Amino acid sequence: MSLRRFLAILRKEFRHIFRDLRLLFLVTVSPALLLFLLSHIFIMDVQQIELAVWDLDQSSLSRRYITFITSDGEFHIRGEVHSYAELDARMRAGQLDCVLVIPKGFARQMERGEPASVEAVVDGSDPIAAIQAVSSLSQRATAFTAPGSAAPFVPVLVEVHSQAWYNPALKSMVSMVPGLVAVVLCMPALALALALTREKEIGSLESLLATPVQGAEYLLGKLGAYLSCGLLGVLPVWLVAVLYFRVPFEGNFALYLLLSGLYFLAEMGFSIIIANFARNQQTAMLLVLILFFVPSFFVAGLVLPVDTHSLFSLLVAYALPATHFIAISRGVFLKGVGFPQLQTPILLLLSMGVVGILGGLLLFRKRMEY
Amino acid sequence: MAIRIGNLVWKELLQLARDWLLTAFLFILPLLQLILLARATGRGIKEEPVIVLDRDRSAVVRQLALRLDNREELAIREWVDSEEVLTDRLERGMARVGIIFPPGFAEDLAHPTRTATVQVIVDGSSDTAASIALSAVQTVFADYTRARLREVGISPDPLVDLRIVTYYNPAYDVRKFAIPAQVGFITYQITLVIASLGLARERELGTLEALIVAPLGRTEIVLGKAIPAFLIGMLNFLFLLAVALFVFHVPLRGSFLLLLALTVPFLLAEISWGVIISSVSRTQQQAILFVFMLALTDLTFSGYLVPVKNLSLVLQWVARLVPMYHYLTVIRAILLKGATLTDLWPHALALVLLASVITVIAVRRVSRRLE
Repeated sequence: MSLRRFLAILRKEFRHIFRDLRLLFLVTVSPALLLFLLSHIFIMDVQQIELAVWDLDQSSLSRRYITFITSDGEFHIRGEVHSYAELDARMRAGQLDCVLVIPKGFARQMERGEPASVEAVVDGSDPIAAIQAVSSLSQRATAFTAPGSAAPFVPVLVEVHSQAWYNPALKSMVSMVPGLVAVVLCMPALALALALTREKEIGSLESLLATPVQGAEYLLGKLGAYLSCGLLGVLPVWLVAVLYFRVPFEGNFALYLLLSGLYFLAEMGFSIIIANFARNQQTAMLLVLILFFVPSFFVAGLVLPVDTHSLFSLLVAYALPATHFIAISRGVFLKGVGFPQLQTPILLLLSMGVVGILGGLLLFRKRMEY
Repeated sequence: MAIRIGNLVWKELLQLARDWLLTAFLFILPLLQLILLARATGRGIKEEPVIVLDRDRSAVVRQLALRLDNREELAIREWVDSEEVLTDRLERGMARVGIIFPPGFAEDLAHPTRTATVQVIVDGSSDTAASIALSAVQTVFADYTRARLREVGISPDPLVDLRIVTYYNPAYDVRKFAIPAQVGFITYQITLVIASLGLARERELGTLEALIVAPLGRTEIVLGKAIPAFLIGMLNFLFLLAVALFVFHVPLRGSFLLLLALTVPFLLAEISWGVIISSVSRTQQQAILFVFMLALTDLTFSGYLVPVKNLSLVLQWVARLVPMYHYLTVIRAILLKGATLTDLWPHALALVLLASVITVIAVRRVSRRLE
């Protein structure tokens, strides 16, 4: 391992990246662009629930009930239905999330002081939206009082003072943007995997191997170039998050940059191993997409927390660098924490990086001996 | 002409078969991905860790803690002694909810005029989990209040009793919602990758020129690349659908033939996108990174994660231009809801129109490039 040869490879790689404008864009600017794009779409704060009514009672009280439930705009009234067949058809076509069925005799029962019952049919095919619709409906339904009769006197026994730390308004943007940073920052690692397989595919690796350059110098040179370009890309990502989305940044930027570097290291360790097995860029691409990128949306705790219930999901989640970086990113951005609180994810990322790179070197040396 | 295209398709398939690793990936990786995602997709928010700081040390607190622990969404993880420890656990992400019972809680609760208070802190850094956990905590306290009131003979029931009837997925199983979309997305991904690399690869390796000078028309070259991609996409789709139905027990309530028929324009649109990418990129690396960007954009506009109706109006219109949005709507509706063509015709029409437009653009673009 000679420093001079390592630097030569590093210089060659930088020249490759900076010469190819599209590649430069994809390694350094595209994460920020992707964050901008993705975050816009992840803002789940405003949820509209499409509601239709089937009013069999047709009384002034039933109309009052409907107005009461829909007055604050969370429900979007989508007209009326007049049969279960019509209800089913419109739900199948995806036009309705729920239907309120008010039975005949609703007003009469309430006037007699008996509790009336109302049916709410909910489209459960999207469970997250369905749960939200059910809870919104129930809240309003409980609060409804008939005119004239006083609200049932319910004394408050326990007053719950609730507060949400780190994100007081519980805005989804505040929690999604720092998490999405982990997803978009896998672009440099993808580019590295492709760069490594490319040399193999085009055949330029053989001419490199004929020079005195050793495997370690070659791999570390490539890694160094893509890692530093990746770090260059962290700044625009951070600017988009802080200036455009106005996500509070409570932590230390130098620490954040350092930990992003650690995340790149862990991901690039995987990239080197993948590049060892993949014979061409197509394969490398598929492997990166399937092993990292798509799972990081679903199992890494981005939208729903990591499922600690099944061992399998837990193992998959822990094996993904993104899981740990999502925790780190949210910790530094929102909680303003540092090393002591983040030591578990930091150590895991570090060990992944070290194991990945050593493994990659070992595999590479073995292949060169052929 | 048919023979020449057939030969070209055969060449492509031979080339694929020679690269056994790639071939294996084309069929095994999608399957692995589906199984992995399906098994790893959480079934919703369950057992979020709760820590309790009990300054009252009364029987009531323990009773309430048991009620909290019994909720599906919550699990008592730890009893802490001080606010510092509570803060530390929240900072480390070891707890989602911290509940502080002040001294004298039980006394206030038993007192006829005083109101007991309890402080609930949630970690808002993961907003969905935080709001679901918070509402579970609130429900526990409300239920407790109601139970206590009933004991003393006050009826706390609301005036209107709301009965919830849930269609299609009464257990609120997130997997039933996620798996059909995953079948669609994985098929998309494979088809797009194969189609987009075809021409870029030939160009990079210098074999494209040989193809151009061969007695082949441009349409034939494009078709020769498109047909293998279509075959592989279709095979993968059938395979993944079978796994979804028979291994993960996703219901097929609608018509299989309708689903199959609508998969054709979807694949066609994605192949054409791939061909367009292939024609603008000089190297495979560029093509791949473009595919990546396109896949990300499609993923976000497709309703895969976030329902399209939650987007702003402008973005909703953008989503209508994304074939995957229509396809995911179609596959979910056919599988879970048993939707028919009468229910889905707007999406079906959109798929066919988008596929034709993108294909025309692709063919024109490539013919110009190849000259």
